[in-house]
Amino acid sequence: MATEIGGIGSSVKRKEDARFIRGRGNYVDDVKLPGMLYLDIARSPYAHARIKNIDTSKALAIPGVLAVITGKDLVPLKLEWMPTLMSDRQMVLPTDTVLYQAQEVAAVVATERYIAADGVAAIEVEYEPLPVVVDPIKALQPGATLVREDREQKDNHIWHWEVGDKAGTDKAFKDAEVVVKQDIYIPRIHVSSIETCGMVASFDKINGKLTVWMTTQAPHAIRTVIALVAGHLGLSEERIRVISPDIGGGFGGKVPVYPGYVLAIGASVLTGHPVKWIEDRSENIQADSFARDYHITAELAAKKDGTMQALRVKTVADHGAFDAAANPSKYPAGLFHIITGSYPFAKSFVEVDGAYTNKPPGGIAYRCSFRVTEAAFTIERLVDVLALEIKKDPAELRMQNFIPPTAFPYTSSLGWEYDSGDYGRALRLAMEKIDYAGLRKEQAQKRAKGELMGIGISSFTEIVGAGPSKHFDILGIKMFDSCEIRVHPTGKAMVRLGVKSQGQGHETTFAQIVAEELGLPVGDIAVEEGDTDTAPYGLGTYASRSTPVAGGATAIAARKIREKAKLIAAHLLEASPDDIEWKDYKFQVKGVPAKSKTMQEVAFAAYTNHPQGMEAGLEAVDYYDPPNLTFPFGSYICVVDIDRGTGEVKVRRFVAVDDCGVIINPMIVEGQIHGGLTMGLAPALYEQITYDDDGNIQGGNFMDYLLPTAMEVPSWETAKTTTPSPHHPIGAKGVGESATVGAPAAIANAVVDALAHLGVRHIDIPITPWKVQKILKEKGVAE
Amino acid sequence: MRFEGTLDIAAPRDRVWSFLTDPKQVTTCAPDVQSLDVTDPRHFKVVVRAGVGPIKGTFSMNVEFTELVEPGHAIVLARGQAPGSAVELRSTMDLAALDGTRTTMKWASDVTVSGMIQQVGARLMQGAADKITQQVFSCIKAKLEAPVTA
Repeated sequence: MATEIGGIGSSVKRKEDARFIRGRGNYVDDVKLPGMLYLDIARSPYAHARIKNIDTSKALAIPGVLAVITGKDLVPLKLEWMPTLMSDRQMVLPTDTVLYQAQEVAAVVATERYIAADGVAAIEVEYEPLPVVVDPIKALQPGATLVREDREQKDNHIWHWEVGDKAGTDKAFKDAEVVVKQDIYIPRIHVSSIETCGMVASFDKINGKLTVWMTTQAPHAIRTVIALVAGHLGLSEERIRVISPDIGGGFGGKVPVYPGYVLAIGASVLTGHPVKWIEDRSENIQADSFARDYHITAELAAKKDGTMQALRVKTVADHGAFDAAANPSKYPAGLFHIITGSYPFAKSFVEVDGAYTNKPPGGIAYRCSFRVTEAAFTIERLVDVLALEIKKDPAELRMQNFIPPTAFPYTSSLGWEYDSGDYGRALRLAMEKIDYAGLRKEQAQKRAKGELMGIGISSFTEIVGAGPSKHFDILGIKMFDSCEIRVHPTGKAMVRLGVKSQGQGHETTFAQIVAEELGLPVGDIAVEEGDTDTAPYGLGTYASRSTPVAGGATAIAARKIREKAKLIAAHLLEASPDDIEWKDYKFQVKGVPAKSKTMQEVAFAAYTNHPQGMEAGLEAVDYYDPPNLTFPFGSYICVVDIDRGTGEVKVRRFVAVDDCGVIINPMIVEGQIHGGLTMGLAPALYEQITYDDDGNIQGGNFMDYLLPTAMEVPSWETAKTTTPSPHHPIGAKGVGESATVGAPAAIANAVVDALAHLGVRHIDIPITPWKVQKILKEKGVAE
Repeated sequence: MRFEGTLDIAAPRDRVWSFLTDPKQVTTCAPDVQSLDVTDPRHFKVVVRAGVGPIKGTFSMNVEFTELVEPGHAIVLARGQAPGSAVELRSTMDLAALDGTRTTMKWASDVTVSGMIQQVGARLMQGAADKITQQVFSCIKAKLEAPVTA
């Protein structure tokens, strides 16, 4: 039955793929409106400089260039700055100083895209270069170059945040039998979604209505932000319509508001024409917000037998020139305090200091909830450092310490209440699938022959589903999410949600939840998202929150419909509602299966024959504020071989056991895990954005920023355990980010394991052939 | 980036000096000059086309002689921009007369390149700079060693 309905647990083929694989998706750049103009942006070549003069005359002289907008033009409109999510502000366009390379300096509006680009090239800006600081550690030292002159506080320190029991933790370390300490750098990386950011803004001067098509993961929140930022210019929320059409990947990079969006809206309001702005690849990778960039010092205290006791972590977070992190939690370092991971530390203490540098804003939660990758990588790396220190097998050490399944719900020493878990079961399954014991034997034999092979484990715990209103809000708006279901007279349904798919398959999975709850075939259920004029208010898709939050709203909205449908069914079956049960996707008179009504029959009656005194129709809406976050987990095991000549790391096998609670569509989950593992492999071995001392970005294009391709990606082996979330309406936990969070540590641990007998304890990611070869040469084992 | 070297020129020191410190003469050896605008003997603006491989830009450079100590020491500061890129250059030059007909020039340049040319062409920059330097110096040598025409 479940397969006919296509309900929860069915690998229904993705409904959206029919248009995607035929090239018939509709992205922002596909939007073409009559009279549309084009906007392009001039950017700073300097990482820090005073703007002495901007000469726009040559640009304005180009036929087809209609306007050039500079920071000074925005001052009378009070639009030269905009607020960020982090109680900071960010320049839309600078009036006197640029703070990072590729920062927006001026915008050109023209009748054609190429004319706009010619206009950008013709703008002459006179700069006076200023000293540059790109290293956050140096930025925090006294006398460092001041990045933000506009702030009252005259240093580069943004905030200090700490959580946990400092005194208790310090004491535990003092008394500990074993202490290990490791510096870990999680490099700056970029989401590099295939579709860059962009917008078509269309302001109707007659009725004052603004319609924007925009690459955003959170259309409703954007509508409110526009109303708050530009309300003084007459843009009020009922006259703003944000449409987020098909999106070619978001990964957190399409949560923030970038200056280009504000400029496109401003240009449309100014000219009365629709204005299109689409970033090119270099603009996207150089100027849009970055992820990670955490300088971490982590310490673990344990007994000699390996029993973990306390964790102490100190971190410097590089936020670039503006604290514009896409982090709606009440904590400046997001959910970094999930860093106790899968282990029951009795005492722990975490502190983080944010720093400004002459780099673009950082803090994108790149497919990692909020700072969960940084946390998971650190703890899983640190566990291996401890294993080396006490000469214990890393699998055994994990098994010895895991929070036991009987301890859930488990409250960590940093305050999170983990909903459910069975960490040992996941690791045992991974070890079985990969033949862990056999691999260790093989490794010993290879090592005797001088060959370098390593096995790495990562038993991560995630925290997703932002989120409960006690932990999260955006400008005060609680982070519920919503679903509205309308069942039509013919038994077909329209489902609208406040979240927004960027490729996750929402049109399929949310239809499956409704199918399961209402007994309607999945093919009869249409899912629509992303249009603020039609969808109920929601906070969008990121932090693996769609299934934990909007999925809950969908199930509950469907159950509201089922409650009403039951009354109609009772009416049709001439029975008391108490005698009606929902069984086999039908309403039946208890004990009389022959007397039953399908949801389709009930839906028709809801419009044609509803009981006296009951409202007609069959609709419901639910706004779901989850009681807690969800805590997906998994155990990954990676096997690597290292070439002693080139230093190249080859991932030979990778087994991923994930537990994301109840699975709605196993095929889509497997796809999510494949993509996530690839995005976990990327920073482990390839991706990093660095800057030279002058603040020049190194890696501002796909020649220098190494995204893994099919050539680099191993054949992933996946498996699952299922530990339902006890508080979620359908027991689901969300899986969008698990693999990105869990994979890097497994790979790094495998490389270190391959070199551990040479005395190697840690290598910062990305583990490039150059880094490995340097180690091999130092240890005298390079070929 | 720092570049430095020594160049022997078969010409008397005062002739070398007057050539190298005269904006009109010295820019005849700059790469692909589009225009020259001399503000005063110590300041001039020059527009040149330069780049690394396919990444070429028209650089509008403001040049200043910050030190001019006759007959042999000069420092020049040049700053300029092309769309998406910026360049800053500080050069020192010291001339020593070997005898009445030959001069040795010791020179050093600190060059900072920002923006697109630096991002895309960083690995090719050294080679491109060496090539430009060679062209400029062989031009200077050729012009100074040519017989004086009245």
